[in-house]
Amino acid sequence: MSPAREEARAVLEQADASLLEVVDNLLNKGVVLSGDVMVGLAGVDLIYLRLSLLLCAADRVLEERRG
Amino acid sequence: MSHYVYAVLTEPPRGDAGAGLDAEPLRFVPVAGVLAAVGDMAARPAVSPATLRAHDAVVRRLAAVVDAILPVRFGTLLDGERALADALAARAPRLRAALALVAGREQMTLRVFGEPGPVAPAEPPPGELGPGTRYLEGRLRRAHRDAAVPELGPLRPWLAPLVRAEAAQRHDAAPLLASVYHLVDRGTAPAYLEAVAAGAPALAPVRASATGPWPPYAFAAEQLG
Repeated sequence: MSPAREEARAVLEQADASLLEVVDNLLNKGVVLSGDVMVGLAGVDLIYLRLSLLLCAADRVLEERRG
Repeated sequence: MSHYVYAVLTEPPRGDAGAGLDAEPLRFVPVAGVLAAVGDMAARPAVSPATLRAHDAVVRRLAAVVDAILPVRFGTLLDGERALADALAARAPRLRAALALVAGREQMTLRVFGEPGPVAPAEPPPGELGPGTRYLEGRLRRAHRDAAVPELGPLRPWLAPLVRAEAAQRHDAAPLLASVYHLVDRGTAPAYLEAVAAGAPALAPVRASATGPWPPYAFAAEQLG
């Protein structure tokens, strides 16, 4: 596994809902000025995919709690 | 020493924005009519929950003491003043336009959940175009289709008085159908959340959950991506 993917996994294994929003904001949005691309594209894609899945899971959990 | 970039601003902070994520002092470097909020770092920070939250905290502190801020993606490290100046100067007109859009505003994020419906194919480009133009036109039309969130239609009348700009992205990870980012005037986040709560029943069977306020991350990408 590449270092970027290992970092992504480490982040996501500890993720909560507020952190997922931060991940979405910081790794998928924002001005990209150039310079070094610090997180490999594959890592970003992985994080974003997991973000989507985990947001879905969080939503289902919240629905069950409300129910 | 390299420059780690947190945000682009129009003017220096009115108050103390604290230090950077590595406790380094923040500096504000003027380039082409904008200011880069930077910290000096030898290497980029590792991606971790702590560093992501720390970066976000720096951006939030900056947002609290300026009128206009364009947050910069995590991990943007530029090699010296020249690289910073080149990166900003090349984008200065779009940066200034984006800063004008976000001035006095902040972001709310809507996650839209539900069962995916059939996705209408993008309308094909006119046949008289050349192959290169047809390809680019096709990409543009698909991008417009992917940014549309018709499921939010019943909620829009509730939000219209508050929303100043919108960015959206559809997802292929049902039940998360789309993320919609709204730019609202600062101080109106409670009214936005109330409007979502009031209008949400009209969305059924689709559901929407709102978070915010956030610095306008999505609108930096919308203008400059």
